[in-house]
Amino acid sequence: MTELIKIKDQNFIMHASGVLFWEERSTMLISDVHLGKVSHFRKFGAAVPQQAVQKNFDVLNESVAFFKPRTIVFMGDLFHSSLNKEWGLFEEWSAKITAKLVLVSGNHDIISPLKYEDLGIAVVSELNLERFLLTHHPEEREGWFNFAGHIHPAIKLTGLGRQSVRLPCFFKTKNQMILPAFGEFTGTFTMQPTDDCEAYALLGDSVLKVPIKEVKKRRRSAR
Amino acid sequence: MNRNQLYNIAETWFQEQNWKPFKFQKDAWTAFLQGKNGLLNAPTGSGKTYALWFPIVLNYIKKNPDYRTKHKKGLKAIWITPLRALSNEIQQSAERITQDLGTQMTVGIRTGDTSAKERARQKTKMPDLLITTPESLQLLLSSKGYEKVFKDCTAIVVDEWHELLGTKRGVQMELGLSRLKAISKDLRIWGISATIGNLEQAREVLLGPETVALKNSVLIKAKLNKKITVKSIIPKEMETFPWRGHLGLRLLEDVVPIINSSKTTLLFTNTRSQCEIWFQKILEKHPEYAGEMAMHHGSVNKETRVWVEQAIRNESLKAVVCTSSLDLGVDFAPVETVVQIGGPKGVARFLQRAGRSGHRPGKESVIHFLPTHAMELIEASAMQQAVKQEAVEDRIPYLNSYDVLLQYLTTLAVSDGFYPDEIYNEIKQTFCYQSFSRTQWQWLLNFLVMGSQSLQSYDEYKKVDVEADGKFKVTNRGIAMRHRFQIGTIVGDANISVRYQKGGYIGSIEEYFISKLTQGDVFTFAGRNLEFIRVKGMQAHVRNSTKRTNKVPSWMGGRLSFSAQMSELLRQELYTATLETKEQSIEIQSLAPMFAKQREESIVPKPSEFLIETFKTRDGYHHIFYPFEGRGVHEAMSNLLAYRISLLSPITCSLAYNDYGFELLSDQQIDIQEVLDNDLFTTDYMLGDLQKSLNSNEMARRKFRDIAVISGMVFTGYPNKGIKMKHLQSSSQLLFDVFKDFEDDNLLYQQAYTETFEHQLEEGRLRLALERIAQQETVWKQCTKATPFSFPIITDRLREKLSSEKLADRIKKMTAILMRK
Repeated sequence: MTELIKIKDQNFIMHASGVLFWEERSTMLISDVHLGKVSHFRKFGAAVPQQAVQKNFDVLNESVAFFKPRTIVFMGDLFHSSLNKEWGLFEEWSAKITAKLVLVSGNHDIISPLKYEDLGIAVVSELNLERFLLTHHPEEREGWFNFAGHIHPAIKLTGLGRQSVRLPCFFKTKNQMILPAFGEFTGTFTMQPTDDCEAYALLGDSVLKVPIKEVKKRRRSAR
Repeated sequence: MNRNQLYNIAETWFQEQNWKPFKFQKDAWTAFLQGKNGLLNAPTGSGKTYALWFPIVLNYIKKNPDYRTKHKKGLKAIWITPLRALSNEIQQSAERITQDLGTQMTVGIRTGDTSAKERARQKTKMPDLLITTPESLQLLLSSKGYEKVFKDCTAIVVDEWHELLGTKRGVQMELGLSRLKAISKDLRIWGISATIGNLEQAREVLLGPETVALKNSVLIKAKLNKKITVKSIIPKEMETFPWRGHLGLRLLEDVVPIINSSKTTLLFTNTRSQCEIWFQKILEKHPEYAGEMAMHHGSVNKETRVWVEQAIRNESLKAVVCTSSLDLGVDFAPVETVVQIGGPKGVARFLQRAGRSGHRPGKESVIHFLPTHAMELIEASAMQQAVKQEAVEDRIPYLNSYDVLLQYLTTLAVSDGFYPDEIYNEIKQTFCYQSFSRTQWQWLLNFLVMGSQSLQSYDEYKKVDVEADGKFKVTNRGIAMRHRFQIGTIVGDANISVRYQKGGYIGSIEEYFISKLTQGDVFTFAGRNLEFIRVKGMQAHVRNSTKRTNKVPSWMGGRLSFSAQMSELLRQELYTATLETKEQSIEIQSLAPMFAKQREESIVPKPSEFLIETFKTRDGYHHIFYPFEGRGVHEAMSNLLAYRISLLSPITCSLAYNDYGFELLSDQQIDIQEVLDNDLFTTDYMLGDLQKSLNSNEMARRKFRDIAVISGMVFTGYPNKGIKMKHLQSSSQLLFDVFKDFEDDNLLYQQAYTETFEHQLEEGRLRLALERIAQQETVWKQCTKATPFSFPIITDRLREKLSSEKLADRIKKMTAILMRK
């Protein structure tokens, strides 16, 4: 279900649902939940099954029950669009949560911070915790390790017999880790592996470190 | 005016042109004037437009004896064309008649190209004769007060009906007709179709099964007795002729004498990329053709295309490399010769292309077949037989397309609203929805209004409202606007227009290709080498480049499956490989070196043999089966077999197929003996297994993409507003997953499966094929390397996947790739 990774002497646990748990600080990082997306689509006449709404909250609850964090940091794009009735569900959910809630706001977060503050959720543009920088958009800053979201990273795996699979993943480079999108009805972007990268794919019930193979680019011979 | 007087008018006109009306033209006039509906089977360039424009105008004259001095306003007839590019041509022939006969009738065009100003003008004053596309007709149905516009319409002609039949545009047409029939009391419905296997059915679909309209209809066939000669281009050096490939450049020099010896030659290619490459290469090798050669395909800008068409008529071009963009319409008398590069994938299409040449009555049509790989020579030979026997394909109409019906109902709700009972009775008259039940109907209505089957809490779903008197109506302007933008059933990849940085439109390319380019990459398009600069909105900016390149945009070509008859001919042709040389066709004779190579490790099967080959390459374990039943059957059979094998033990297969056979490629070896011992080719439980196989592959998922768009669940974006289609693709994929997880009884989700199953995989033929295999002796050859027969299949990149392995187990054997330059 989980996979441990040490970054700058701190312990981080990756969970198959896509959340990241920082043990020392008992803090759970969740990125790109996109609440309200299903309702948004429905409001505009696209009949996405409404049951998908509940799924987001179910998985949230499972992760919270699993890690019992003191703090939950939403790494941006918590709400997909403007206010709709899913806000009510979120209100109910947040009332039941004892952990401290923080939102690092992202490009989709257009709902007024006051609405969040009413629920006791602090809205910030970034968080600096020890040597760790938490942002929505990936950032590089000298001396900091950056946790970010926004990208919805996925990794493509290939195998013998012309097989290939794309899976959402945690994508780590030397000074950065991009979290997978947590939301139920969200897409992914396939990352190109780089020299110093590590990818941890989500398999539904487990997290798997992806082996990366270097291949020399074959020049296509002219016809 | 009586009928004879009317005929006189028409025949006099023909005499003035020094023409003589064909029998089929006169037959059509008579039937039309008798108030009949019908289907006219006539090829392009046979004068089919005069067969139907004439009686439409004569009918007006009949009703308005003072037609020369007075003009009765209002829409009289609609001419539907599947290609808007053809509308000008059709307008010209209509205007010739209306003007020469001294009527004051007006002819107008309404397509996606029509300006907003012109459309607004038409709204207040409809032309007498309107030329339009199926989509634009639907758009008319989405505007307020449409009933008044169509009320007095006396005729609707659906041109190139064979192109629409068997597609969802055809279904859209059926629905439009069902509405027009109800509005206009004096409507004649006519279709024009090239020869297809199921002409009678084509008429039934057009007019509606068991309807009054069908009973009062005729089928008229133009018997033009055109002689068609097929000549294969035989490679001189068969030993080095490639076993695979689709370009055919190896035989480029053999085309030169053909071009030189005729006035104008059309070279038909199967894809736009192939078209680009051929154009480039001919000019490279033979610069003397510069200025005398042109290229024509759907992505080249309109002005260039029109120019090329005109230049063909003026006889100022020696050769034109083209795609199916020149299949329809446009009569080119000067074309003397046609070359088909690569298998045309369909006898009907081949005949149509052949008919492009020698366009004068009584003159023979010559078509040269240029094979792109060795196996296609077999096809070339079989094609000659097929042409003789007119073994043309059927176009299979869709049944119960929920998506198109949803779109149609929304269209009606957007304009004047609709009452369900009234519309239900109308759609029940169509072929597509003849067996549509009340339950299914109620499901659709619920879906339109609630976005589900029951009211849910926290829901803000909004689309169609039910008014107090039971009328279904869209009241939200945003929804109405979005719907109008999205009317249509052709779901393609998003197109990006290619422009010079300094301005100047070159054409459009699928986004997929552009997304793979990085700045500075050079690619060939519209006959030019272009350097990619950047994408801005829905435009790609480029500049001319002198660098050479191998990058050519690729487009997905339609892959038609051979008819049962053509597959049979193909098999018969192949079986002659075992005969004495003198009993073989020249094509088969020329293949002797390939057959010899094939026999080194395998066999060339006899009619009594079913060949299976297995071998390993660095791609994995290949298992190739050769039923020679045509692509469609192989697609079904490969899925069926892979599914049954996957039940024996967990396995993942990649599937490829062509007209000769199919391949199961895997990272594990499949024990063929076990396959045979377990009788996996049995017809028992065939249907159920086939259905289950769809759950383990991706076909339904892909089908769902179109369904999601057509039914309006995924919004494709406003034209030119730069909302990328990437969203559409991923959203429909996402939607599919969401339906799978939460609402798998949704009829639209279900449709993705039934469509694959009923429309794509031909169940009846599959059964016959399996029965034939049961009669054959299986020959399993374990080879050390790929054989000539297997080559075109194993190199096919378009593949299906089927897996019964757990994801975690599959992943264990896989890696991510880090590309080193």
